[in-house]
Amino acid sequence: MPNLEFVEFANSLIGFILTLMVLSYLIGDNPLFRFAVYLFVGVSAGYIAVVTWQQALMPKLFLPLIQAPWPGRVLYLIPLLLFVLMLMKISPRLSWLGGPAMGYMAGVAAATAVGGAIFGTLFPQILAAAEPFDLGAADPLSSIFNGALLLLGTVATLAYFHFGARRAPDGSTRRNPLISLAAGIGQVFIALTFGVLFAGVYSAALTALIERIGALIGLFF
Amino acid sequence: MKTRPIATAMAIGAGLIVLSGYFIPALDFIRIEMIQWAVVAGGTAALVGIGNLFTVHFQKVRRREKDSFYSLTLLVSMLGTLLAGMFSLFFNRSLAWLQPAVNAIIVPVEASLMALLAVTLLYASIRLLRRRPDWMSALFLLSAVTIIGATAILPLFLRDIGDVILSWMSLLLAGGGSRGLLMGVALGALTTGLRIIFGIDRPYGGK
Repeated sequence: MPNLEFVEFANSLIGFILTLMVLSYLIGDNPLFRFAVYLFVGVSAGYIAVVTWQQALMPKLFLPLIQAPWPGRVLYLIPLLLFVLMLMKISPRLSWLGGPAMGYMAGVAAATAVGGAIFGTLFPQILAAAEPFDLGAADPLSSIFNGALLLLGTVATLAYFHFGARRAPDGSTRRNPLISLAAGIGQVFIALTFGVLFAGVYSAALTALIERIGALIGLFF
Repeated sequence: MKTRPIATAMAIGAGLIVLSGYFIPALDFIRIEMIQWAVVAGGTAALVGIGNLFTVHFQKVRRREKDSFYSLTLLVSMLGTLLAGMFSLFFNRSLAWLQPAVNAIIVPVEASLMALLAVTLLYASIRLLRRRPDWMSALFLLSAVTIIGATAILPLFLRDIGDVILSWMSLLLAGGGSRGLLMGVALGALTTGLRIIFGIDRPYGGK
């Protein structure tokens, strides 16, 4: 059994070397960066394969096929069939057999996306947009003002993505002036929103940079 | 024999049954069971994708193409991780033996790539102002700088003002915009999903 401290030091040393290799990209694309990235892709692919086997295929297909009581076990022949059909995608000659499994997956994914969009996003967001207009709130005036500003942002942002236009008698196309005005306001909200999102991503990246520099310094000092 | 009509029938049938499960409580258990089957199919698709990655790089190494050393690195690291994971599952019934690979390779490289992003984003934002010096770019960068300034740069005695700016910007102004974007994405997902369920779009290989 290797010494735990040695294993930890070896892990840190490999991490240190790989960090330097990746950060060497700052001076341009180079073999060290490429080696680190290919190594990362290989290890990640192997890891994903093992996790997929352990978390999805074993508990949801093979274990029930072996252990489930008899009448219920027959039900697992359907995912087994999907598994076999999907595996046919490996061979270029037999890949057409994987079509039904792909179709099944696309259908389930589409239905889940529709259900998620309706019950997970649209309904909750509409209810949340209406909530500030509750006159029973502690400070109704401030709540209504905030709610109106939020609603303006939501409607204007949605209007920005409405690209419908009417054809004028002279052949040119024109947007409805009201939609055009709302789209202009929406542009301001979109720019602000993306700015805030950019700030969030940048902060996360900056935190990672500080953590990596800390790890580089911390290994030897 | 072509399986295109079968694939379309599978997509429409599975889609309609799963969608019904959201609205008819009696069908909910079928919806959950069918999603579990889709997880099996998705997991198998991931394995097929990894198998394809292996084949492509194996061919590169076999043909001794340019830069095939990197492909060899990928193959060795993939096989090593796969074998270590399988042995770990067999002898240890967990992924404990893979933890060193995660700690020494996956986490440091992911964090370093994220760190690279900090520099790349800064460079991209400077380029944005140089290449598109319009009011949208200015407003975008102004809001980003305001948020970063209010959270990280302001001295302690100005933190209260920073909090007010932060709540105005992120909760009210960006809140409305992000709600609009979120609803737009949901509406897009809704229409695309319905087009797949009704067989108008066939992203599984049919035309």
